[in-house]
Amino acid sequence: MKQTFLRALFAALSLSSVAAMSGGAAAQNALDDIMKGKEIKIAIPTDFPPYGFVGTDLKPQGLDVEMANYIGAKLGVKTELVPVTSANRIPYLQTKKADLVISTLGKNPDREKVIDFTAAYSPFFQAIFGPKNVNVKSAADLAGKSIAVTRGAIEDGELTKLVPATADVKRFEDNNATVSAFVSGQTVLLATGASVAGNMMARNPNLSVEYKLLLKDSPNFIGVAKGEDKLRLKVNEIIADAKKSGDLDKMAQKWLGRPAGDLPN
Amino acid sequence: MVEFTLWDIVRNLGLAARWTVALSIVAFIGGGIVGLLMLFARIGGGRAVKALIAGYVQVFQGTPLLMQLFLVYFGLAALGLPTSAWTAAAVCLTLYASAFLAEIWRGCVDSVPRGQWDAAKSIGLSFTQQLRWIILPQAGKIAIAPTVGFLVQVIKGTALASIIGFVELTKAAQMITNATFKPFVVYTVVALFYFALCYPISWWSKRLEMRLAVSGR
Repeated sequence: MKQTFLRALFAALSLSSVAAMSGGAAAQNALDDIMKGKEIKIAIPTDFPPYGFVGTDLKPQGLDVEMANYIGAKLGVKTELVPVTSANRIPYLQTKKADLVISTLGKNPDREKVIDFTAAYSPFFQAIFGPKNVNVKSAADLAGKSIAVTRGAIEDGELTKLVPATADVKRFEDNNATVSAFVSGQTVLLATGASVAGNMMARNPNLSVEYKLLLKDSPNFIGVAKGEDKLRLKVNEIIADAKKSGDLDKMAQKWLGRPAGDLPN
Repeated sequence: MVEFTLWDIVRNLGLAARWTVALSIVAFIGGGIVGLLMLFARIGGGRAVKALIAGYVQVFQGTPLLMQLFLVYFGLAALGLPTSAWTAAAVCLTLYASAFLAEIWRGCVDSVPRGQWDAAKSIGLSFTQQLRWIILPQAGKIAIAPTVGFLVQVIKGTALASIIGFVELTKAAQMITNATFKPFVVYTVVALFYFALCYPISWWSKRLEMRLAVSGR
């Protein structure tokens, strides 16, 4: 119920922001405003280790947080971190409450209609995970099994495309509810990002969870408000430089335990 | 990965609980004042005023608080009116609580028998005097239980403010759960916090009710 309402609201919001844009209300001035105000507002996750999560002082840390600070530093402005969830990160961008979204954002055609993307900055893949004694070799094996997934996340879309009708897909509001459901035995399988699964496995060795089925290889992109080309190109420059200097690899190595690899532009 | 001790969890949730308290207080005070004004307007006002207030109550009772928060925070910004998270939360909680309180209190005033109004009028009291000396004292007693019941709902309802970026009790719990993967510990502590906030209010209302019930006889 709640989610359907939210979806409808997001749709209504995107329409109204498109309307505002076509009316010329939103000129391409985000970059100028940032440089003038000496501050950039960047939306980051706080519920998605190792990309964005909190330490014992509840301060955000992680790959996305480091990337946000990196971009602020390269622009020579102060970085204001705006904690968002996977459900409200795009509205934050559309309503200019954030200049950039660095929040494990995957690129898909639906999202491209409402926001723009920079080049990719970090690797990511989604898959289905489950206990060793459950046999899942192909999508057909998912029939009759319950699967926890975070609503609206990339893996939700991919999962919906390939699951058989008899599979019981249980959708949760955020990654933490999804993981909790799986860990507590509410579902047999878990569809999520590799990093989340990696953490969950390290914390719960007794569940003997393993990788089952690849859903999608989807690197992360930085989200920019529709039409803010000046800001987008500037961020792309920073990403290209970071790629060349090896900073992106260093960040990926630090948080994900592997280099950034070959990322699409 | 970070390691949270139980103390880290409790300490951080305690800090976040300040937001839950602050949001609840805003809702109580704002909702109480606006709700009371609407109650008076509804009792004393003309047909048009009554219809207007009834409509207001229906709108805010009939839509989820989550949507109201979302629309005020993001909706107004999309229309070019930036609102801060605090403004949005204060406005929404006030509107939401006032609609419910106005309706609860109207019911309480209505439950005072019509004869009380007539009797008050017959001894020459003005409308304000009838309300002040005869009706409200009786309605007030009836109002305690449902009002407190609603306030306790509001305390728990402030968790919805996390959609517009407030890191209150529930949101902080989600963040900590994600860093620790210990949902049972974290959510148990959260439940205890909510209970510690809500129970004293319920207890106090029981006491108040008992005291007033005696003095009324």
